Amino acid sequence: MARRKPQSGEQTSDKPRSLGRDAMRRLLKNRAAVAGGAILLVIVLAAVFADFVAPYSITEGNIRNNYAGPSAAHPLGCDFMGRDMLSRLIFGARISLSAGLIGALTAFVIGVTFGLIAGFFGGKTDNIMMRFVDIMYSFPTLLLIILLMVFFKSSFSVSGVAEGGFRGALSNIDRATGGMFFIFLGIGLTSWLGMARLVRGMVLSVRGKDYVEAARAVGTPRSQILRRHVLPNVLGPAIVAQALQIPGFILYEAFLSFIGLGVNPPTPSWGMMLSEGYVAMRSHFHLVLWPALAISITLFAFNFLGDGVRDAFDPRQTRR
Amino acid sequence: MFQFILRRMLWTIPVIFVVSALTFILMHSVPGSPFTRERALPAAIQKNLEAKYHLDDPLWKQYGEYMWGFIRLDFGPSIAYRARTVNEILAQQWPVTMTLGAVAFVFAACLGIPLGILSAVKQNTLIDHSSMVVAMLGVSIPSIALGPFLIWIFALKLKWLPVATWGTPAHIILPALTLSTFYLSRFARITRASMLQVTREEYIVTARAKGIRESVVNLKHAFRNALIPVTTIAGPAFADILTGSLVVEQIFGIPGIGKYYVTSIGNRDYPVIMATTLIFALLIILMNLLVDISYALLDPRIRYN
Repeated sequence: MARRKPQSGEQTSDKPRSLGRDAMRRLLKNRAAVAGGAILLVIVLAAVFADFVAPYSITEGNIRNNYAGPSAAHPLGCDFMGRDMLSRLIFGARISLSAGLIGALTAFVIGVTFGLIAGFFGGKTDNIMMRFVDIMYSFPTLLLIILLMVFFKSSFSVSGVAEGGFRGALSNIDRATGGMFFIFLGIGLTSWLGMARLVRGMVLSVRGKDYVEAARAVGTPRSQILRRHVLPNVLGPAIVAQALQIPGFILYEAFLSFIGLGVNPPTPSWGMMLSEGYVAMRSHFHLVLWPALAISITLFAFNFLGDGVRDAFDPRQTRR
Repeated sequence: MFQFILRRMLWTIPVIFVVSALTFILMHSVPGSPFTRERALPAAIQKNLEAKYHLDDPLWKQYGEYMWGFIRLDFGPSIAYRARTVNEILAQQWPVTMTLGAVAFVFAACLGIPLGILSAVKQNTLIDHSSMVVAMLGVSIPSIALGPFLIWIFALKLKWLPVATWGTPAHIILPALTLSTFYLSRFARITRASMLQVTREEYIVTARAKGIRESVVNLKHAFRNALIPVTTIAGPAFADILTGSLVVEQIFGIPGIGKYYVTSIGNRDYPVIMATTLIFALLIILMNLLVDISYALLDPRIRYN
């Protein structure tokens, strides 16, 4: 959005404020949200630059360091294979955040497409599509995701030998991402329902607006109405709504990895570290403590920031 | 109202159809069969076993037969545990999961809702701020992190409660706490928000102006109306707590249906997978129906016709 230059006699308080800038101002005044954002920024940076920040290899450990407690060389100790906990935690941030972000993106693309089509075409198409969404709402998500993950894992990735064709390609992608690819797919395929409903509702309301009516009256083609009028109005709120869902997707990854249906073993996911550490918890609590703290702090920061964002965009809620 | 309930009951038929078909297709697309072992069975035995469980029939026929059984509440034989029927297995495992789920739900509602009311009534005081921070922690700490923490503190260090497994009432406490924390916090947050919204309504001002005692205003006038958003999440909450027990049962080694579900998928025990998924779906539908009915009871303005 182009920023308007302040006129000479204009006072700053009279500047027209866009919804976005207004929301930003409110967000920055919310100390908890800013703190959450700052923590999150540190975690994101650690995840992005994990290769430089992490002091040790995450796949190879020293057998003498098995279950080692904290020391000068390994401030957070080592895991059951003598691998440095801190390094694995840092790489774990990358896994968790990408599960959250790419999972959210996958679900977003599916949900927005579905909602747009249903809302824009309306009538029978809309009816059938939305009834399908209603039905899928009754499907227990966690069970569906587990079924899907088992299906993906044993259909594509276990085979071991490289296969040609579509299956082989999928399995290679999954192996290259350490088992993450199917998690993205699993999350995306099960978590788009709310987005579809939201987008469809917004499309319906935009479609009823006078300017859309006017555009149609002058003979604007449907595709252009969709691109010029409907999409820009729908995308903003949809992105915010989806961003608020990210903690849920991070949780799915952790759950799946915890029950052994997530990432493939050497990949350091926090959920997997928890399940590995859990067996030895009685004598080596630090194996559980650090990943538990890492995931809790990340979600805590996300939730504080998310609350702030929600309040900032919906000023009614903060009125006190 | 009666018509509404009837219509919703009829709606479960397509839902069950789609959920069952999808589950059926997915689980049969997973490679491997219930008889896949480290050492392959002789072909003849494998064939006979498949014939016994009708696994050699075309898929649509297997599906049809399964659903015909399901309608008559006959969930078929378990393939992994030859001597037992799925009904027997469910009869043994469901009560465990339901007990755990119910206790967790009661924890969540009976602690979360009062906490939310208290926060709203004492808005912007230390009580309010600290309980909202605690609630924020509650929605942020996942069960796989909280469970081990609780075990470490209360079972390993303090030795007040058993570490894991199932049996006595003391065994329920830690897993139920783990399972309920998320929704306890959500209940608190939503109750608070909705109480704050309601207390701005004019009828609350009127009630105060009439000189009604503050506690009566809060509990009778405000709370009843503030309950509507709370009931909205109560239905999904119960369903989520039940499915969430899948993970919690793994943590605490509880012999419930959630733990068994994961094992059954590994074993390709088709009838168990189907029955569990469908019962979960039915429960979700039922909870949503109860929520809708309770709307009508709470708010006389809502009518279904």
